[in-house]
Amino acid sequence: MRPGRQLAVLAGIFVVLYLLVFFAGGAKGSVMDRLEPRLGLDLVGGTRLTLEAKNSVDGRAPTAENLEEARQIIENRVNAFGVAEAEVVTEGNRNIVISLPGENRDLTDVGTPAELRFRKVLKAADGSGAAAAPAPVPTPSGSASPNPSGSASPSGSASPSTSASPKVTASSSGGQGGMAPTPSTSATPTPSASASPSASPSASASEAPVPASVEEQRKAVEQKVGAAAWAAANGLQGPADLSTDPSLADKLKPFSTLSPQEIAVLPAQTQFNVPTISCEQLDKRPPGSITDPKQQAVACEGGAAKYLLDQAKVLGTDVEDASAVMDQTNAWVVSLNFTGGGQDKWTGLTREAFNNDGNACDASALGQDGKCRVAVVLDNEIVSSPEIQGVLTGDSQITGSFTQQDASTLAGQLRYGALPATFEQQEQQNVSATLGASHLRAGLLAAGIGMLLVIIYAFFYYRLLGSVIFLSLLLSALLVFGALIVLGRTIGFTVTLAGIAGFIVSLGVAADSFVIYFERLKDEIREGRSPRSAVPRAWARARRTIISANAISILAAVVLYIVSVGTVKGFAFALGLATVLDLVVVFLFRHPIMTMFARTQAFLSPRVSGLGRVLRTAETEGNTTRPSRVKEA
Amino acid sequence: MAHSGLATRLYRGEAGLDIIGKRKLWFSIAGLLVLAAVLSFFVRGFTLGIEFEGGNSFQVPASVGTLTQTEDRVNGILGNEAGGAEVESAQTVGGAGGEFYEFRTAVLSSDEANAAKVAMAQEFNLNEDQISANQVSAAWGGQYTERAMLGLVIFIALVMLYLIIRFEWRMAVGAVSSLLLNLVLTAGVYSVVGFEVTPSTIIGFLTILGFALYDVVVVFDKVQENTRGITANNNQTYGEAANLAINQTLMRSINTGLVALLPVGGLLFIGVPLGAVTLKDLGLVLFVGMFIAVYSSIFFATPVLSTLKDFEPRIQAHNKRVLARRGAIARGELSPKGAPRPAGRGESTEAEDAALAGAAPKVGARPAGKRPTGARSGRPTGGGGNRPGGAKRR
Repeated sequence: MRPGRQLAVLAGIFVVLYLLVFFAGGAKGSVMDRLEPRLGLDLVGGTRLTLEAKNSVDGRAPTAENLEEARQIIENRVNAFGVAEAEVVTEGNRNIVISLPGENRDLTDVGTPAELRFRKVLKAADGSGAAAAPAPVPTPSGSASPNPSGSASPSGSASPSTSASPKVTASSSGGQGGMAPTPSTSATPTPSASASPSASPSASASEAPVPASVEEQRKAVEQKVGAAAWAAANGLQGPADLSTDPSLADKLKPFSTLSPQEIAVLPAQTQFNVPTISCEQLDKRPPGSITDPKQQAVACEGGAAKYLLDQAKVLGTDVEDASAVMDQTNAWVVSLNFTGGGQDKWTGLTREAFNNDGNACDASALGQDGKCRVAVVLDNEIVSSPEIQGVLTGDSQITGSFTQQDASTLAGQLRYGALPATFEQQEQQNVSATLGASHLRAGLLAAGIGMLLVIIYAFFYYRLLGSVIFLSLLLSALLVFGALIVLGRTIGFTVTLAGIAGFIVSLGVAADSFVIYFERLKDEIREGRSPRSAVPRAWARARRTIISANAISILAAVVLYIVSVGTVKGFAFALGLATVLDLVVVFLFRHPIMTMFARTQAFLSPRVSGLGRVLRTAETEGNTTRPSRVKEA
Repeated sequence: MAHSGLATRLYRGEAGLDIIGKRKLWFSIAGLLVLAAVLSFFVRGFTLGIEFEGGNSFQVPASVGTLTQTEDRVNGILGNEAGGAEVESAQTVGGAGGEFYEFRTAVLSSDEANAAKVAMAQEFNLNEDQISANQVSAAWGGQYTERAMLGLVIFIALVMLYLIIRFEWRMAVGAVSSLLLNLVLTAGVYSVVGFEVTPSTIIGFLTILGFALYDVVVVFDKVQENTRGITANNNQTYGEAANLAINQTLMRSINTGLVALLPVGGLLFIGVPLGAVTLKDLGLVLFVGMFIAVYSSIFFATPVLSTLKDFEPRIQAHNKRVLARRGAIARGELSPKGAPRPAGRGESTEAEDAALAGAAPKVGARPAGKRPTGARSGRPTGGGGNRPGGAKRR
């Protein structure tokens, strides 16, 4: 019975909430700006991005099923941004249109295919491209020492000197010239020197013959770079060292002018061996260029180190679940949970890498401890390429210098899977609201009138107690409003017109907890109690009912929030929020204020308290009812 | 008090309406309505909005006029060329490629879409290739509905568990069956009338879920209170005690219904005419659903509970005892404790007779006109007058 303290707690909540509203989480601008909740697509419009499906091999449109599957995956990814109500639809037979509330949202990553591949790093080279060719030559000695044809032991002596950074290892290996390949990779085809462009890829990936269209594209590239350059490139046995052979640099120069699309059609060996093909070009290859798990591939890490990668032994589909977590060193990592089969494959891959089976990994590509590294390849780039320190039989983590957002984006992409088609982003556009301000005004006006009716009814029915209802509705509204603003900033909660209507309705439903309380109060008074003693008794009973009833609402909210997606999730969140706030108002406002009221003289006067009729009948019936109560009490 | 009108008696929780006694009537009504609803699901199905069905979109350069003007003209064209289809949403899309208006409609056949496109080109003096017409898929994917349904199932299972722990399994069955009735009937209204189902409708539908259970829990809370220790004396059958609880919470149910329906009614009857058309979907489903929720918490949940209870051996024996005792009193073999007051009993005794007949017909007791009833005070043994058992709780 300390109403003062409860009211103080409520006041505290209020102050904190509105401090957050005005000063925290990116609050800026004028007072009115700070008081604006994040509104939904229907009320303020937003950003629209169109993704056009492009099949990398031929120009056919994806099947309707693929397009729908892609739509769902993209929808999941967009929804993973927060509880904003996004709209994702397909348009025509190859477009996916994403609309998100708020202008100029960054949607660049949404359309990436997110093909995850785990590939052993076979060889490393410098990826800085042509510019790096003659100038840097930073490790002239390095070119000599490690090349004793790649067997594992000498590389151990080489790597400590060059320190742990893979980049350094890579640049020193630039000097290996033609010596390395023969023993190093089982996958490198022995007939490698043959000028026929089809030979090397088909050798490295026997199960995936190159489609005719790719052959044609390669021919086109051959013409573009010229026969001399083409032959020189195909003649390379390993990453060419331009510093030792300046003439080669000239010959290979045309490769640096190729577009990323043209680079993508080249065989992996060529992409790796030709030093004038830079990471910049490689990173911009069209999506889906190296997704084929049966092919070796070339990819870059950090835009500088170029790696030749083995066939993909573990794929994104082997990942059961992914989540962004913080590891012991307070760095964000993506934790991976493999499926049953995926776990076996992953264990197999790590064993292979740990033992360096068949010395498949070139000395240049080994880690500090002389074990193979496994690259985590997302689309065209390597996210990270850790050295395998042991045979891994459990969950794994992807490390990299992630921010929290990077980590959760990546986790989301892995969790929802790869897109079944590749997409090209069109221009990003701004869209207007579908409902004008007039809709909003009409809606708010109608809601206002509705609430006014509720209040009038409350005053009519409960008289003075109506003022308690009025005040707590006001309070609930203010709390909800503050919470909406803060949540809009922190988790991107957006308010649509339907959402506003929902909140107003929830206020009405919340008013029910008074009805329960006041009806109890009436019961108690009818039983002959003074209002003063009736209040705590009525409260004790009403509390039970209110809690069990609200528990159900919260249960509904939690279940729907966990299980459902998109709009329904947003709704569940709002329902839970409204219910919790209702409980806050009931416990921290209505009860203490009623306790205080019960102590005042006015409350005891039947005319103002609204309990008059009950009191009066209780009195007229006094002779019959009273004695029985007395007996019980 | 004898002269008090229905309103006052309602206010005081003493309306004395017989609800449990007429449960066969309520069950038949509910059964008929469910039958009609289910029939309608199969015969008429639902009218789905473009968010579910997909539709067509037309993009017109913004140079042709203002958005509202253009929308009106497009509507006119659609009316002529596309069998009365309407613009469902209109918005401006802008980017480096210039601004244009996008109008979405329900699904059109490709002939209709082409005809509309041609007509629009004429209307706005544009080349046909300046207007693009496309098919747009559903924004509300199948997985939304699937997940929402999964959520519904899990929720019902958990709520069942919660109610079993908090009350007992019979109450859980009563509450959940009333919830299901509510959902089926609301969906039935949509199917029969042919209101369009949109995402807002689904949201509203899920809102009712909580509301309906909330309502039932409040009533059951009272029933539980009224029937605690009911077998300790022989004054009331279970059905009567439950009926009393309904009457006592009736005013609350009406108040709750009113308080919740007022803002919804505001949205529906004021907001929609003023132009907030999208609120129609939400307002409508809430209005219908809440109305049915209040109805089913009174006329379905408690009767189901009372019926289930009557099968419980303990309660069955108790009811028999009560009726036997009443029979004895009526035959003058036993003097009732706490003399009932005969004055002003006319209409309510009739109701109670019916209640008796309905509640436990197997005992051959003839209607006892002068028995003390739950809704009356002046019955000291009753434990609490209006609230039998209630006063004993603490």
